[in-house]
Amino acid sequence: MRTCHVAFMSLAIAASIAAAENNWTPPRTPDGQPDLQGIWTNYTSTPFEVPDKSDNPEFYAGDLDGTGRGTGPSAFLTDTAGRQLTKATSLVVDPPNGRVPIMPWAEETRNYRLAHIQDDWVNFTPWERCITRGVPGGIFPAGYGSGYQILQGRGYVAIVYEMIHEARIIPTDGRPHLGPSFRLWNGDSRGHWDGNTLVVDITGYNDKGTVATNIATQRVRAIPQSEALHVVERFTRVDENTINYDVVIEDPKVFTSSWKVAMPLHREPDYQIFEYACHEGNRAVPNTLSGGRAHDHSARVVTAQ
Amino acid sequence: MRAPLLVAAAGLVMLAGAPLAAHHSFAAEFDGSKPVTLKGTVTKMEWTNPHAWLHVDVKTPDGKVVGWMVEGGAPNALLRRGWNKNSLAPGTAIVVQGFRARDGSNRASGGDLTLPDGKKLFIGSTGTGAPGDTPGAAGKK
Repeated sequence: MRTCHVAFMSLAIAASIAAAENNWTPPRTPDGQPDLQGIWTNYTSTPFEVPDKSDNPEFYAGDLDGTGRGTGPSAFLTDTAGRQLTKATSLVVDPPNGRVPIMPWAEETRNYRLAHIQDDWVNFTPWERCITRGVPGGIFPAGYGSGYQILQGRGYVAIVYEMIHEARIIPTDGRPHLGPSFRLWNGDSRGHWDGNTLVVDITGYNDKGTVATNIATQRVRAIPQSEALHVVERFTRVDENTINYDVVIEDPKVFTSSWKVAMPLHREPDYQIFEYACHEGNRAVPNTLSGGRAHDHSARVVTAQ
Repeated sequence: MRAPLLVAAAGLVMLAGAPLAAHHSFAAEFDGSKPVTLKGTVTKMEWTNPHAWLHVDVKTPDGKVVGWMVEGGAPNALLRRGWNKNSLAPGTAIVVQGFRARDGSNRASGGDLTLPDGKKLFIGSTGTGAPGDTPGAAGKK
């Protein structure tokens, strides 16, 4: 029955999106682009995936003790309080069951990284290391620091991410991708307009990052990415205050098939984007490693006794 | 009646599946089995990212003064929660609850904080996986 409900909700959402897209014409920039400019937020309390009884949310959130303690509060207690919610069952809308098709080896790699985070800094996600939240991971809701500013100029779209103070420059002038010798944490974005939709094609990733970095993405957090990762984002402004964002992710070395996330971005012109200088006080890495060394020391003392 | 029931069911899923938010996981750095209540005087508030850090001088039973550091939420999260840079001036007497660092140093993950007038503020990060990492619940298991 749950599958039926998911399918019903997906159809209903698709129908409502299609209706909105048909009945509203977005404003244009002076050079004729559909105008996506402004401050947008991505608050939602919709889970990333449809939950499954096989999930281990405490472990995904970093519970080293296996104590089964709660993994956190309702998002209503973060910045999300009082904000708009989506009507979807999960942000993952394809496959229709709302579950990301992760290969077993990739889940084992994630499990090792999460279980051994106190052993080595390489086991931290790029967000914890203040490198990046990734593309597309940087636009998946984190619950706070949720602002995005879109700016457009001739031949370019720029997106400023409040979390973690990142900026993407997306050429829309038809230039080709960088060659395969360029491997980047966030890949190489190339945009074009498909009617009123900004389509961004991203390739050229390195194999150091991860598609999703924050705990809200639960099972997908810390899943590795390969150099074969290919991402296609679509930004469609469907009314004055809403951009429908969707992204298709394929990585044949990590996922058994492509999968898709869909969610709205809400216009909030009064929202202030604050600076987020992630490196200035990122004590989490050394403090976590020192916690591991303290554990090692206590284990040696017990063994010696 | 079927459609309203489905909508209601979807609403329940949304409430149950609310996403979480944290820069890093609580359990790797702090020990949820070691709650601590610190009563002391603010010496400094560091408005740094990805987490603010509160410095507190705590007087021990034998009269010594020991410096503690308490991890808070991200500055932008604290600002939107009602904090500002004047919220905790140096010299302010406070009581703050939290959980001790796993390495045994005088650091803690912060939760509920009480000011001299009894007003409470939540300094912690939400969604870290810390026990009771919600306002009003810090220190509870």
